[in-house]
Amino acid sequence: MSVSTVTKEQFKSFVAALVDSDQNVVGVQAKDDKFAFGELTDANALRLDYDVTILPPKKYMLPQREALMNFEVAGAAESVQPDEKMVLLGVHPYDMIAINQMDELFSQGEYDTHYMNRRNNITIIACDVVTDSKNVFAASMNSATCDTGYDILLTAIGDAYVVDAATDKGQALVDMMSGANEATDADLKKREAVHEKNIAALNKHELECKPSFLPKLLEKAYDHPVWEERARLCYSCGSCNQVCPTCYCFDVQDEVNWDLKTGTRCRAWDGCLLTNFATVAGDHNFRKKRADRFRHRLYRKGKYVPGKIDGQIACVGCGRCVTACTAKIANPVEVYNTILETTELR
Amino acid sequence: MCECSNGNKDIYLPELCTITKRRMLNGTELFMHLEKDSGEDFDYIPGQFVEASVAGIGEAPISISSSPTQKGLELVVRNVGSLTKVIHGLEVGDKLGIRGPYGSTYPLEEAKGKDLVFICGGIGLVPQRSFIRYALDHRADYGDITILIGTKCHEMRLFREEIALWEERKDMTVMETIDEGHDCWNGNVGVVTTLIPKVESHLPNSQILVCGPPIMYKFVLMALAEAEVPQENIFVNLERRMKCGVGKCGHCQMNEHYVCQDGPVFRYSDLAHVPEAI
Amino acid sequence: MSKPRVAIFDFACCEGCQLQIVNLEEEILNLIDLVDVVEWREAMSEQSHEYDIAIIEGSITRPEDAQKLEVIRSRAKILIALGACATIGGVNKIKNNFDLNEVRECVYGKDAQMPHLNTEVTKAVDEVVEVDFKIHGCPIEGSEFAQIIRSLLVGKTPFVPDYPVCVECKAKETICRYEYNEICLGPISRAGCGAPCPTAGWRCFGCRGTVDDPNVEAAQEVMEKYDLTVDDLKQKMVLFNTK
Ligand SMILES: Cc1cc2nc3c(=O)[nH]c(=O)nc-3n(C[C@H](O)[C@H](O)[C@H](O)COP(=O)(O)OP(=O)(O)OC[C@H]3O[C@@H](n4cnc5c(N)ncnc54)[C@H](O)[C@@H]3O)c2cc1C
Ligand code: SF4
Ligand code: SF4
Ligand code: SF4
Ligand code: SF4
Ligand code: SF4
Ligand code: FES
Repeated sequence: MSVSTVTKEQFKSFVAALVDSDQNVVGVQAKDDKFAFGELTDANALRLDYDVTILPPKKYMLPQREALMNFEVAGAAESVQPDEKMVLLGVHPYDMIAINQMDELFSQGEYDTHYMNRRNNITIIACDVVTDSKNVFAASMNSATCDTGYDILLTAIGDAYVVDAATDKGQALVDMMSGANEATDADLKKREAVHEKNIAALNKHELECKPSFLPKLLEKAYDHPVWEERARLCYSCGSCNQVCPTCYCFDVQDEVNWDLKTGTRCRAWDGCLLTNFATVAGDHNFRKKRADRFRHRLYRKGKYVPGKIDGQIACVGCGRCVTACTAKIANPVEVYNTILETTELR
Repeated sequence: MCECSNGNKDIYLPELCTITKRRMLNGTELFMHLEKDSGEDFDYIPGQFVEASVAGIGEAPISISSSPTQKGLELVVRNVGSLTKVIHGLEVGDKLGIRGPYGSTYPLEEAKGKDLVFICGGIGLVPQRSFIRYALDHRADYGDITILIGTKCHEMRLFREEIALWEERKDMTVMETIDEGHDCWNGNVGVVTTLIPKVESHLPNSQILVCGPPIMYKFVLMALAEAEVPQENIFVNLERRMKCGVGKCGHCQMNEHYVCQDGPVFRYSDLAHVPEAI
Repeated sequence: MSKPRVAIFDFACCEGCQLQIVNLEEEILNLIDLVDVVEWREAMSEQSHEYDIAIIEGSITRPEDAQKLEVIRSRAKILIALGACATIGGVNKIKNNFDLNEVRECVYGKDAQMPHLNTEVTKAVDEVVEVDFKIHGCPIEGSEFAQIIRSLLVGKTPFVPDYPVCVECKAKETICRYEYNEICLGPISRAGCGAPCPTAGWRCFGCRGTVDDPNVEAAQEVMEKYDLTVDDLKQKMVLFNTK
């Protein structure tokens, strides 16, 4: 596996060739004055200088809505297994880390073929952050840079990219790049500088403890007034769940076709902030209060999910929920810092 | 399209089963006996549940009510919503999709040689029946068996004939109560907790198995605390909203625990620091 | 099995929702295969008529409408309110903000006191009779109508979301109006429409009514965070969410 350097022009030719090939290529593009991942049909539309996308790339592994199986009404069902291959261009380190966590969650215990098939069919070209978004705090969560999960990692240095191939799939793509030369020590130094810069800059909200301390902190915060204080303004709109790269809760629903004889069982994104997420028959809601649901999300990120994946904190500091929350209450750093400042810690 | 991927099965795909018997236990509870269309037998342990579905309508977690010592699978479904209403309309010969079994089990091994006390509220008798029948089929393995059953009213009582047979047996004790008195009822009246002081087994040394509606747990657990039963000896069978049954969808979560995987049967002492549990 | 009989009735509305059904084009052919549609005037003249599903469009603004509706209810197994006028009173309710005599004067001038122009406080269908299902929206969303009808035909309880429009808006990766300090009623409005308005760059004005438990107090406080006022918010809500 190699570390090489290509000029931005050469890289664009590579993307153009990729787009022209029969591969399905997805990349970050402008959407008005924001950015989004979408199917790439023009290499010029790729914006690797983006700050953050509205939705994370999880929509390609866990789509907003996807078919799990087709069925005959009241009869048998046949599994629908996704098998489309894709090259995903421009995944930022914090999103890469989130994908790594999801891979673990969907493959551990009962293996989820739907998620894992999509994931295994995606070749990821990650890229280091060039422009910091207004609410990013990845540095506070140790996710300003990443070192696994991708097939290729790009780092912009001046008018070139350092191209780090981490897998055979990635190397095969690098082999297609004309003009790729082995990266020089100077190039690698520049890459190092980008990493250092991002570790300092991607920190618009600063967590006042190490992320690894969060599970311990939350042990003492269950009855903290912060939940009620903030959730008072919560709309239960679930935007904080929807935009989060590590939220993966889902609902399952049956849809029937017009023949009333066949249909599809689908799964769709759900969110623990939504009012009826934990409601059962008899209208008994196990998480009735807005504050209970608000707390649940921040415990999931800081304590519960880490308990399933070796202590990795399930907030990667992308800052999307901070931006998406119209009530301006969802910022995990503000919540955790409030607890830190007001809790007796030994 | 294939059913497996990299040798992994689709965990969401149900297996078709046929309803071989059905009867109403009361006005709202339907009893069903199922067999797999594949001809294989079901492989499960008392305490577990399955995801039952009618394609086109939906899927829901349903407790297993039969014991693995018998053939086939028995479920009891209460008519409360979209899917359960449709299930109530199914006839013998109709199909039901089944996934599972999922979840934790009753402590079959650990309870060996000990007295068993089952405390059942309403439909809570359904999953308990699985372990009761298992214990009766392995009668020599267990000590005294006591069953306390509380039901809202006379009409709602479940498994009446079976309970009558249990009452006739010399090797077990059954006590029933209904919340509201009734002309054709000359048994106990009052909530299920009123039966606890009448249990003759030595409660603190028994394995206590509790299942019922959410509000029941608080009172039963208080009564058991008063009787000085150690929390290690109490097992509760909990219900939550569930979608996947396999630890992915997040719906059944109760603090860090997933009821579909860590439960539905929990040792009460394991829930000491789980404020969302009871 | 005989086809379910469906009857459609319209009260005070623009009939735009019926248009949405007609716009379903190919799908409407499927529907016509599966049910017997009974025209409403016909149904009313034949006293013996019974229907499995009655679909009510429009809101109730006159006493005789209320009586007619009660008759329909007594004959229908399932009664569905179709469109904002029927589900929440819709734009017709704006007049409830004014004195009724003023409304009459304003609309009909000197004819205002004629008996057939008698107008009452506008009511949604469920303020007059029991409603089994509501198909929200102004106009309704064709695909949701289709989903609900198919569910009913197959014997399943139709799914009607009780979460805010933001859920569908975010799923479509739209830029939130609040990013531009604009008021949007998405956070308190009922989803199901697929958020076409924010997706097209306009605010949601709540044509589907609110979710069951909207956090209206929060909305008023949150406005201040955007240098907007409660009055700005109320102005936006009057169109569809007058009590
Ligand atoms: C481990 C376990 C074992 C169980 N065992 C049994 C059993 O043996 N027998 C039995 O009868 N039941 C059992 N249940 C309960 C059963 O799974 C539920 O009652 C199930 O909801 C019934 O499905 P349904 O489609 O008929 O009801 P639904 O139509 O799903 O409606 C039931 C209620 O769920 C809520 N709800 C459902 N969907 C939504 C939604 N999308 N948005 C908001 N609220 C919603 C509502 O409050 C509604 O009133 C068990 C549950 C668990 C977790
Ligand atoms: S919790 Fe917020 S900041 Fe953290 S990963 Fe999720 S969306 Fe990003
Ligand atoms: S985005 Fe904000 S208002 Fe909406 S559910 Fe999350 S915390 Fe509540
Ligand atoms: S709800 Fe809107 S579109 Fe439908 S009839 Fe009424 S005014 Fe017209
Ligand atoms: S634009 Fe409106 S509906 Fe969409 S997320 Fe923002 S507030 Fe919600
Ligand atoms: S976005 Fe709002 S206004 Fe637009 S259709 Fe949906 S509910 Fe109605
Ligand atoms: S039911 Fe889906 S996680 Fe437990």
